[in-house]
Amino acid sequence: MNGLVVEGLAKRFGERAAVSGLSFEVKQGEVFGLLGPNGAGKTTTVRMLTGLLNPSEGKANVCGVELPLNGDGTALRKRVGLLTEQPGLYDRLTAHENLRFFIRLHELDEARAWARARRYLERFGLAGREEEPVGGFSKGMRQKLAIVRTLVHEPDVIFLDEPTSGLDPQSARTVRDAVAELAAEGRTLVLCSHNLAEVERLCTRVAVIKNTLRTVASLTELRREGLALDVQVEGEASRFAPALAALPQAPGSQVEGSRLKVLLSAEAQAPEVVAVLVAAGARIHSVTRAARPLEEAYLELVREEDAP
Amino acid sequence: MSTFSVRRVLAVVWKDLLDLKKNRGMLWSMLALPMVVVIMPIGVVTAYVQRPDDVSLAVMAQYYEPTVKAAQAARYLVDKVLADWFVIYLVMPVFVPILISSHAVAGEKEKRTLEPLLASPITPLELVVGKSLASLIPAVSVCLLAFAVLCVGVDVAAWPLAQELVLPNGMWAFGVLVIAPLFAFFGNGIAVLISARVGDSRLAQQLSGLFVLPLVGLAAGQFGGWLKAGTTYYALIGALVLVLDVAILVAARRLFDRERLMSRWG
Repeated sequence: MNGLVVEGLAKRFGERAAVSGLSFEVKQGEVFGLLGPNGAGKTTTVRMLTGLLNPSEGKANVCGVELPLNGDGTALRKRVGLLTEQPGLYDRLTAHENLRFFIRLHELDEARAWARARRYLERFGLAGREEEPVGGFSKGMRQKLAIVRTLVHEPDVIFLDEPTSGLDPQSARTVRDAVAELAAEGRTLVLCSHNLAEVERLCTRVAVIKNTLRTVASLTELRREGLALDVQVEGEASRFAPALAALPQAPGSQVEGSRLKVLLSAEAQAPEVVAVLVAAGARIHSVTRAARPLEEAYLELVREEDAP
Repeated sequence: MSTFSVRRVLAVVWKDLLDLKKNRGMLWSMLALPMVVVIMPIGVVTAYVQRPDDVSLAVMAQYYEPTVKAAQAARYLVDKVLADWFVIYLVMPVFVPILISSHAVAGEKEKRTLEPLLASPITPLELVVGKSLASLIPAVSVCLLAFAVLCVGVDVAAWPLAQELVLPNGMWAFGVLVIAPLFAFFGNGIAVLISARVGDSRLAQQLSGLFVLPLVGLAAGQFGGWLKAGTTYYALIGALVLVLDVAILVAARRLFDRERLMSRWG
């Protein structure tokens, strides 16, 4: 099995729980998003799943290797690729030497692995720059080289921490295309990101964590969690916001001129909202169901008071 | 099941030596100390040989050894300075690995290269062995090269007086081939352990550098006439360092755990 299964994973540093109660599954060939604010435990989770940290509780199976590790984890690390938040390259060494070092650490056939690396370098626009010291590379070039390093041993499961950070739009697109291709090849990808637009473009499902697991859902499900109504009224919509605020379990609302976007916690609230608006004197032109923006859903999930 | 791969160790050695070769500042720092260690005794021997009949040489020699006759004072002082100088020479095999290892180990944290490195199949033991070899190989090479230059320089300078080769002698040969590598291992081990804890190469160098001070103390004792240097004396120091080396190995094995490194440095 080349996906991953996580069951009740937790990590404590002394008395402090960095993350706890994580359970999710990522299928082979899936691009899975790991979302959460800074300090939510995303990096700790990835470090556990790549064998860098031992879980304090729970277990996982990453491409067939059981965690907690039984042994030094070499078998796991040969099958996973990790793109860290910082590219972590050796500045005095050339791009070729940086890659050669990791090719040797993975004990690969150098000629074949280098041929593969060159294809990736070409793909990411770094062909012809192989023999230059990495210290002279731009941030984007460094990031792309770090991605090539992550892929050079053809890992089955790939963890990418902010893969398009520092890249120009064209390079970011190249990376996104590469991610999609890797998934199509049957590789499993876990993407840690704050960039919700990128997550929307690449991921099929996401786990939202903030020290604990808040939800695991497809993006469609996530947007549906809490219905949104798009209400078009006559005149300035802001006049009706106080009436909505007075409702029990007051729904959130956003006003844009004569449009009122009402975020409901349950579908059953919809008739009540319309009735309140009418009672407040609103002349309603239209009411449509709207998908909630991912950002709204995400922010609601990671809000402190919403912690389960 | 733990595995040990020589290929991965050699990969670390290759990378670190390549990085060192491209680091001119580090190379100059590495070579500065050997130059001083080699040039100074040659200068002192030259001074003794140029004026062997100087009465002040007899006074100096008799301060250390009252039975020395005035006519033999210059030769006695040549032999004495070379015997005493070995403790200064020993600063080199301690200090050069400290320079290299502090940079190579704590530098991985500073450059944020540690996490990708630990995420590769390399084990912490392979990493320590690789980093240590990459530090010990240049350190021991520099020491051997410095000794060769010292032998030639001292023999050329002392020939008019001694009419024989004064170096290499038994004590220096034993010291350079046995004791200096033990000291190099010690210097490297101290730098690796300190680097693993502090994670800042400059601080690691400064703290590790403090371990050179006992040698300076010994040198002061010898030049002051309180300690008498010789093969037995250096062999005793070597035995003590060997015990320390074993303790360092045990500590390094405990400290170089992937989780510990990640928690501390990540």
